[in-house]
Amino acid sequence: MKTLPRFSLNQFYKFILGTVILCPSLFAQTAPLATPAKTEYPGIIQTFEKLIKIDTDKVTKRTDALIKGGRVFGGSSTVTNLELEPDFLNSIILHSDPGYLRLASSDKCRFYETILTDLLRSSEGKIKNVLMTYVEKETRQSAVISKKDFLAKVVNEECPETQKNIAAFQVKTIEKTLKEINFDIPSGIDQCRNIHVDWVNNPKTPFICQIYEYVKEARAGGGDPKDLQQRRAVARILEDKQTLIQKDYIENLCTHLDDEDLFCEEFLNVSFWTKIAGGYEDKVYAEDVCKGLLNVNELSNPQYLACLGRMKKEKDACLYPTGKNSGLRPQPDCDQISTALNYSSLKASYKDCPGNSDQMIATNMGRIISHFGTGEVLPPQGPCSALSAGATFVFNKNFDNDVNWKLEACYEDRLNQREVCAKTFFGKYANQPESYSTVVADILKKTRGAAQSEVCEFVDSLDYNPLLLKYKSGCYIIYERDQCFISQCKHRILYNDRAIDFIKIKGRATIPYFPLNVREERFSQSYLLTHDFKKQGRQLNTLSAMTTFFKKSNNGIIHGIGCAEELLPTFFKMNTINQCTAMPFVVNGVIKDKDKVVFVLRSAGDSLQAPRLVSWSTIYSAVKSYQRIHPLKLWTMYGLD
Amino acid sequence: MGWISLLFLVFTLQAAELPRFLTKHSPDTLRYISMDGRYAYVQKKAGVLGLVSSFRSTDFLTDSNSNYFAVKGSRFKNRIAIESVPNAYDEMSLIKNHKIFVVDYGNTTTREIGAGRGVKLHLRDEWITFFDMYEKKIMIVNLVTQKKFEIKLSKKSNPFFVPEVEMVSSRAVIYSDINEQGYSAMVTFDLETLKSNIIYKSSQTATRLELCQHEGYLGVGEFPYDGVDRGSKISYIPLNDVTNLAGMLNIYTSIEQDIGNMVCLPQWIYFVKTMNQDKQLNHKVTEVVKLELKTQNIEAKTQMKAVSQIIEMDGRVLIPFRGEFFVLEGQANLGEDTLKSAPTKEELQIDI
Repeated sequence: MKTLPRFSLNQFYKFILGTVILCPSLFAQTAPLATPAKTEYPGIIQTFEKLIKIDTDKVTKRTDALIKGGRVFGGSSTVTNLELEPDFLNSIILHSDPGYLRLASSDKCRFYETILTDLLRSSEGKIKNVLMTYVEKETRQSAVISKKDFLAKVVNEECPETQKNIAAFQVKTIEKTLKEINFDIPSGIDQCRNIHVDWVNNPKTPFICQIYEYVKEARAGGGDPKDLQQRRAVARILEDKQTLIQKDYIENLCTHLDDEDLFCEEFLNVSFWTKIAGGYEDKVYAEDVCKGLLNVNELSNPQYLACLGRMKKEKDACLYPTGKNSGLRPQPDCDQISTALNYSSLKASYKDCPGNSDQMIATNMGRIISHFGTGEVLPPQGPCSALSAGATFVFNKNFDNDVNWKLEACYEDRLNQREVCAKTFFGKYANQPESYSTVVADILKKTRGAAQSEVCEFVDSLDYNPLLLKYKSGCYIIYERDQCFISQCKHRILYNDRAIDFIKIKGRATIPYFPLNVREERFSQSYLLTHDFKKQGRQLNTLSAMTTFFKKSNNGIIHGIGCAEELLPTFFKMNTINQCTAMPFVVNGVIKDKDKVVFVLRSAGDSLQAPRLVSWSTIYSAVKSYQRIHPLKLWTMYGLD
Repeated sequence: MGWISLLFLVFTLQAAELPRFLTKHSPDTLRYISMDGRYAYVQKKAGVLGLVSSFRSTDFLTDSNSNYFAVKGSRFKNRIAIESVPNAYDEMSLIKNHKIFVVDYGNTTTREIGAGRGVKLHLRDEWITFFDMYEKKIMIVNLVTQKKFEIKLSKKSNPFFVPEVEMVSSRAVIYSDINEQGYSAMVTFDLETLKSNIIYKSSQTATRLELCQHEGYLGVGEFPYDGVDRGSKISYIPLNDVTNLAGMLNIYTSIEQDIGNMVCLPQWIYFVKTMNQDKQLNHKVTEVVKLELKTQNIEAKTQMKAVSQIIEMDGRVLIPFRGEFFVLEGQANLGEDTLKSAPTKEELQIDI
């Protein structure tokens, strides 16, 4: 049986606690009120009701007695040991929501804030007066204080940050404040639990939940009917200032403050497709599937919603998406993709066309670099695999390793009678001068007298229409999409409607992923990632090391190389001994269910939007087999964070 | 009828611990070894393939420094097919073509045949097939007459698809194919009329067809791809003078998502079966099972829980598992120090 947390109060727990605290009133510094002479205990519920009634009587009488006796707290400087009255505290415990009690229990200031924000309740409902005890002139005394004075005379003195938060959660400021708050969506149970703890200890949480409770009460018509219209108007304003995602998130948080499992369930056990429909996640994950399902080129919002509904019911809908973003097919079914995406932390809201990659090292590196990069991933121009090629090239260039990029565009410089070559990659990415379109334009400027402003444009051969006037002048690189990859790309160049055939492609985009020899170790991508890109690289070769890695790291990913025949045995059959098709991959999530552990994995052949669930045994075998054939027999799986 | 036959299957669990494969060669360098251990093809270093016989060691194929070799034999042992993978460690690609070589068994004179993947020898090693990944063509070459054929495949839903190819006669090539919707099919191609004919088309998407051949029959397996909820089945076509390619006999049906990767032997087929599975987590327990052709009995042969592949090499059946090889059929220990008698002239023809 789980140990009950301090304020995790179910009704039975409340009953026990109430009995313990109320009956002897051991902690009351003033004389306790007499317990009624006759008390019956016919059953738990009935007894509990009686206890509540006793508590209500007690607190009401106590408050009345203090007011009548003129014991109103004035905030004297001679007062010490200020505390809430135990009977009043008991009343709060009995009448408050367990989640808000947990929030209140995290810190003294959080407790005061939950009173101020009307989250805690006493026998009078919303707390209007606070009963306190204090020591003055060496005697402990009790007094009552209004909530307003409680704020001014107690909270402001002891919790200076509260004042700032009150100001930040006014109608005028709330929108800006909410924008600044990070509503993290977890991608794993350990990460989710950490996020939950952060929320419980966050000084803004009471104020966030105050908004939720305020809107809920106004919508339900609760509270004082006299100002209901006014409160409803304010509630509408507050609602408008929150996004749909923020509203759902806040509701989940405020209703599950005492139960992290339920809080996490909302994120991890809900279909990923529902999250997209609710605006939590990017539509890119469903785009290619929906276009195929509905047979349209562009999708309206209602079409998306209808399609997402189908994806939840028809799990085979995800197997063969349409569009240019090809990869290993069939993809896993919708249920598996949904589960995997729920636990996936990799930045994946862009397409990188692994089906058009003949260099999976670049594909994997592009994914790693984009994950750790800040901001949006820049869309390339031309073949979509240019994103991976461009990102990898820029990464190497930034660390002075572009000299090892072997793909070049060359032409014969007749003036100097020598061949001139420029490093390049197919496509146009982030205005890089090494983009093939820029390199071709530069060559045309040097050899054909093209204007300095001349730029070349990539055109898919399927979109190219020679009859169109626009293609009669200027520079165009017409590429065959199905045969345009990272190292080789079937294309032709047109400049002012004439074919340019003197530019030759030399070399291939070969780059070592892990060191292949000691001498050139520093040129490998894994070396650059850990030493120059400053991502801490940890060798991972046990199941516990991998699960611990994800437990400790919120944004970390694991990368490596394994043999495709063992990683994806239904796609790649092994016909000979030591046959190994090297397959880079990224692991970016873990799911534990009893004794089973599976990882969320994207091989470099898989679409970014369709991760797979793969067991530890499969990953280990794949990496171990690659280790056998690696020239330095290196273990090739590392965690990066 | 398939599911009915399943009811009569006797499923036995008699798996014993399998011996490790031991040879005199470093297991990492081994690319092919004959059943008796007399002929071993080893990758001596990057880009160098050697033949080690009882008394000699010859480096006979040297390519670029970063090339990796895969060596494939057949049960006829007339020739050996070699794939030389360029830039194996710094250009990882599922679509690049490999250089295809062929060498007479026990000989060292190589012949470059073309470029592609999935090389396979057929019909007493007189034919060789491979798949050109860029052009999406099955290349068929007669190694005796040098006559070449090619079969152009249509656009695929999976850009990395490599077809399975078997030749059942000097006229009939059988290969697997998929269409853009993901339906797989088994197609026969007549080398005389140059016409193709679909002999089986799957009724469901997302399955793959596997073909394997041994004396007297062609095994056809249909297995689901990873992450897809489909069943599995295995059929066979008896091969004789009056072969009816459309007459497939179903010998195994299961609702489980078996991995497959069949190996056909004279009386039985080995394949990787899913013993149980958590479909939500895609977590499988998989073992090698032996399917008797006559009785249709299934017998579990391993207790490894996570088997993914089976390799057949000169009659020896190996199971790769966590970086090691275990022997299911054939001699496991080839590391004895006793020298075997010198091979006869017919056995060894190294031409140095």
